[in-house]
Amino acid sequence: MNAVMMRLTCPFCGARELNEFQFHKTAPEPGANPFASVYERVNRTEISQEYWQHVQGCRAWLYVSRNPSTGEVYQVSLLGTQP
Amino acid sequence: MILRRGHRVTTQSVSFQFDGREYTAQAGDTVASALLAHGVRLFGRSVKYRRPRGVFAAGPEEPNALLTVGTQPCVIPNVSAPQLAVTPQLITRSQNRWPSLRVDLHAVLQAGGGFFGAGFYYKTFMWPSWRTYETMIRHLAGLGEAPGAADIAPPHVEHLSCDVLVGGAGAAGLAAALAAARAGARVVVCEREPQAGGELDFETATIDEQSATEWVRASLAELARAGARVLYHTAIVGGSDGLVIAHAEPGGIAKNNTVYRIRPQKFVMAMGAVERGIAFANNDRPGVMLLGAAERYLARYGVAVGKVLVLFGNHDRLYASAMRLHAAGMRVRAIVDTRCDVSAAAFGLRATLTGMGVECMSGHAVAEVHGVYGIRRIRIIPLQATGTERFIECDALLVSGGWTPMLQAALHDGGQREFAAKVSEFVASVQPEWRTAVGACAGTFELGAILTESFRAAAQFAHSIGAMGVVGRAPVGRGDTAPQLQAFWRSPCTRAHEKTQFVDLQNDVTVADLRLALGEGFVDIEHIKRYTTLGIGTEQGRTGGLLGAAIVAELKGEALSRVGVSRTRPPYQPMTLGSLAGLNQGDALRVTRRTPLHAWNQAHGAVFEPAEYWLRTRYYRANGTDAFTAGIQEATRVRAHGGILDGSTLGKIEVAGADAAAFLDRLYLTKASTIKVGRSKYMVNLREDGMVLDDGIVLRLAPNRFLATTGSGHAEHMLSHFEHYRALEWSHRQVALTNLTEAWAVIVVAGPKSRATLMNVLGEAWHARLSGLTHMEFSESCWQGQALRVLRASFSGELAFELHCQHGIAVPLWEALVAAGLPPYGLEALDILRVEKGYLVSSEMNGEATPQDLGMDGLVNLGNECVGRALLGRPAFVEPQRPRLVGLRARDGKSVIQGGAQITLTAADTHSLGHVSSSVYSPALAQWIALAFVARDRAATGTVLVARDLLRGTDVDVVVTSPVHVDPSSERMKV
Repeated sequence: MNAVMMRLTCPFCGARELNEFQFHKTAPEPGANPFASVYERVNRTEISQEYWQHVQGCRAWLYVSRNPSTGEVYQVSLLGTQP
Repeated sequence: MILRRGHRVTTQSVSFQFDGREYTAQAGDTVASALLAHGVRLFGRSVKYRRPRGVFAAGPEEPNALLTVGTQPCVIPNVSAPQLAVTPQLITRSQNRWPSLRVDLHAVLQAGGGFFGAGFYYKTFMWPSWRTYETMIRHLAGLGEAPGAADIAPPHVEHLSCDVLVGGAGAAGLAAALAAARAGARVVVCEREPQAGGELDFETATIDEQSATEWVRASLAELARAGARVLYHTAIVGGSDGLVIAHAEPGGIAKNNTVYRIRPQKFVMAMGAVERGIAFANNDRPGVMLLGAAERYLARYGVAVGKVLVLFGNHDRLYASAMRLHAAGMRVRAIVDTRCDVSAAAFGLRATLTGMGVECMSGHAVAEVHGVYGIRRIRIIPLQATGTERFIECDALLVSGGWTPMLQAALHDGGQREFAAKVSEFVASVQPEWRTAVGACAGTFELGAILTESFRAAAQFAHSIGAMGVVGRAPVGRGDTAPQLQAFWRSPCTRAHEKTQFVDLQNDVTVADLRLALGEGFVDIEHIKRYTTLGIGTEQGRTGGLLGAAIVAELKGEALSRVGVSRTRPPYQPMTLGSLAGLNQGDALRVTRRTPLHAWNQAHGAVFEPAEYWLRTRYYRANGTDAFTAGIQEATRVRAHGGILDGSTLGKIEVAGADAAAFLDRLYLTKASTIKVGRSKYMVNLREDGMVLDDGIVLRLAPNRFLATTGSGHAEHMLSHFEHYRALEWSHRQVALTNLTEAWAVIVVAGPKSRATLMNVLGEAWHARLSGLTHMEFSESCWQGQALRVLRASFSGELAFELHCQHGIAVPLWEALVAAGLPPYGLEALDILRVEKGYLVSSEMNGEATPQDLGMDGLVNLGNECVGRALLGRPAFVEPQRPRLVGLRARDGKSVIQGGAQITLTAADTHSLGHVSSSVYSPALAQWIALAFVARDRAATGTVLVARDLLRGTDVDVVVTSPVHVDPSSERMKV
């Protein structure tokens, strides 16, 4: 498996083309208050934690950590199941 | 002139048109080879100076011979003549000339005026302003002409996935494909030419004891047996993030073309290298051509590019080429080698050539070409102090300054280049593990090394992904010796001659332009590119980019490795915009949804309007010739008697499960858990930041089953929103979400006659249900055997019912209602009715309005802890300047209030206090009314303000009113 973006590995559907997925937003920092989680967002270059949805597939909401500067995807998990 | 049978052509002949004249070609010819065979030298004029130009190259890198194909309105401009296959009835035209190629008016004008340097237009046409001249200059500017119609057939789009993708089917590509296929990998090869072989077409070579041609044939047969797919006429044009895009045009330009979206596990780039020129005075004259191009025209089409040739370059390949051109029957007059010494390997060839009467000059360079529409003679100068300048007569000057690896596929996907001194060239720097360059594409120019290197790289790739078959040994080949290139970029000359030392032929960039750009303070190669236009257009720096960079390095006195080269952009070769769009055009661009009543509406004069992805009825033609009059007529009738509206686009999401009520409580500003079964409630969702996201009526169908309605076209978004929170906070609870939007048709029945008519139409069984139905209550049963739900709710202020029904009864029910005296109305009337009542749509719920801004303080004060509530108390949300929703009417009772107008204190004021979000002519009030956002401290009822429409230049005095213009106590819907 090459470390290339444009494909996300959906826990249900496997590796699928990016155009099946929809980006929602970067996940708020853990423990951030409501104001900070909406307005004081950090633009991380190394590891970005993001919410995506497999809208053109199984509709699962995903929690994706990836590197926005290289496109490398580190992990894709189901939203709500991460620690 | 045709010297022999080229191996791309057959004896059949085809005719085509160029600039209105018929020419015959051999089947398999390109337009360039066919015209060259007819002795045509002039193919077009240059974009800026309108200088006569001929063919320079033999591939998509061609900078000069760009043609327009077809006739208006279906033309395709900027097609490279060397790439354009001759097909029957092909019509081509030269470009950048008026009135004709031979006599161009602009060129005549320029002859007296000298040359325009970089930035000339912008510096010269300044007074009184650039706009004064723009139209005239735009007429002269630009490459080719755009088509007048968009009727070029869209391409097929094919998705491919493979283990190993090989770009190019030359020696390197074939060796790589063989290795991968033998290992057992699934292989796809993309070759932009109609045949495999690449430079083996003309190079004198043997591979594995066979001729190169036999080896190519055997290799292709082996690949076919192994199931590899070889795509001809297919160029890799771009790609990103591991997806490789290739474009195939097997039937000629923009016919039957296919866009391949290839997802390889491994990608071997074997696209070879493109030859580049050398800058000398008038190096753009027709007859000056790349050496490799002349060899290709000879080998592939049997065409002689000239009778008397001079070869000019900086490497050993000049001698091998000269032998082949000479052997074919062209007279090689001289070889001008910029190096003082040829290498040992070429020494023998040089001696042979000298013996045949070819004058071989070392340490010399071509300084200048004499002639305008062709070469008359060339001036040759010694590069050392000793020696004298010479003039030689010839009709073709074949130049070779080295080869630039075609790394576009990597560069388009984030790859970088680095300078490799041994080949005076930029080669691929470290690639991601899934991609590699081999052969000439990696700066290797000797056949034996190319074969070994490519074979090994592909075998290693195949093994790394688990294709473990035995690959055997790499092919062994012998061809032209390594070129032993010594960098040489331009011939020494005076400043005056720099104006005709062309670096980028396509964009008329000369050494003088580069010097000017540097003098004016442009330092970075990317800035120089933008100022001088070096390396833009279809050429993308293939023949001129490195040359330009090297000359910039020379002028700056800096190392070429530091100057770098400008970035090339996709696509690798021109594609029509239609091909780029693929299937994403016309009806296929996006979904168009039609309601179950669409056909009926269409048959009854409905004028449709796109609303998100739906087509909705705006008005019915029977009620007026335009939307304004029809809307008023329809709205008036609803208030007077009644009417029906196709509301099927209403979003409907079923929320079911043990935790459904608690889930909805979290997602809406007010609680859903307090709704009784059989009743419904108007509810509002907030975004996380507190802004109103959407509104709708939530029905409780059963204790654990709700139907949440959303705005038309919002259903998908709202479903995602619900699913997001279910995943984020509720994954351990029981909530099932189902989008039922398209499962139910909706007919809205509104007006004072609505109940009586419904009773008639629905029949006895529904009488008791309907008469007992209170506001916001619903009843479920069936009609004509299919499910029907009637909800008493109003979006018009009248007594009204929403009929949710199965598709099968939508049309009969609608027709029955019409027959019973309720005529249909459309969105235009709906808008009037809802603005009169102060009801909201997305113009008001615009993503900037909090519930308090929309007058929902009462709902907020109920205190339900929902998504978005936490931020509602922000100080910014209660500032006195923050606009809130009000109603507006013209003070004079008759002026038009324009939607979008800004609200100010006085007509002279430019400080905006808010804006008009919706405005309609109200038939009920016989005047224009509006909904608007106005700063809280200016929003008291009765305040006089100005609605300024700066676009139309109207200022209207307006009075602030309640947003509810008609029937504020809602008496009409309580009947």
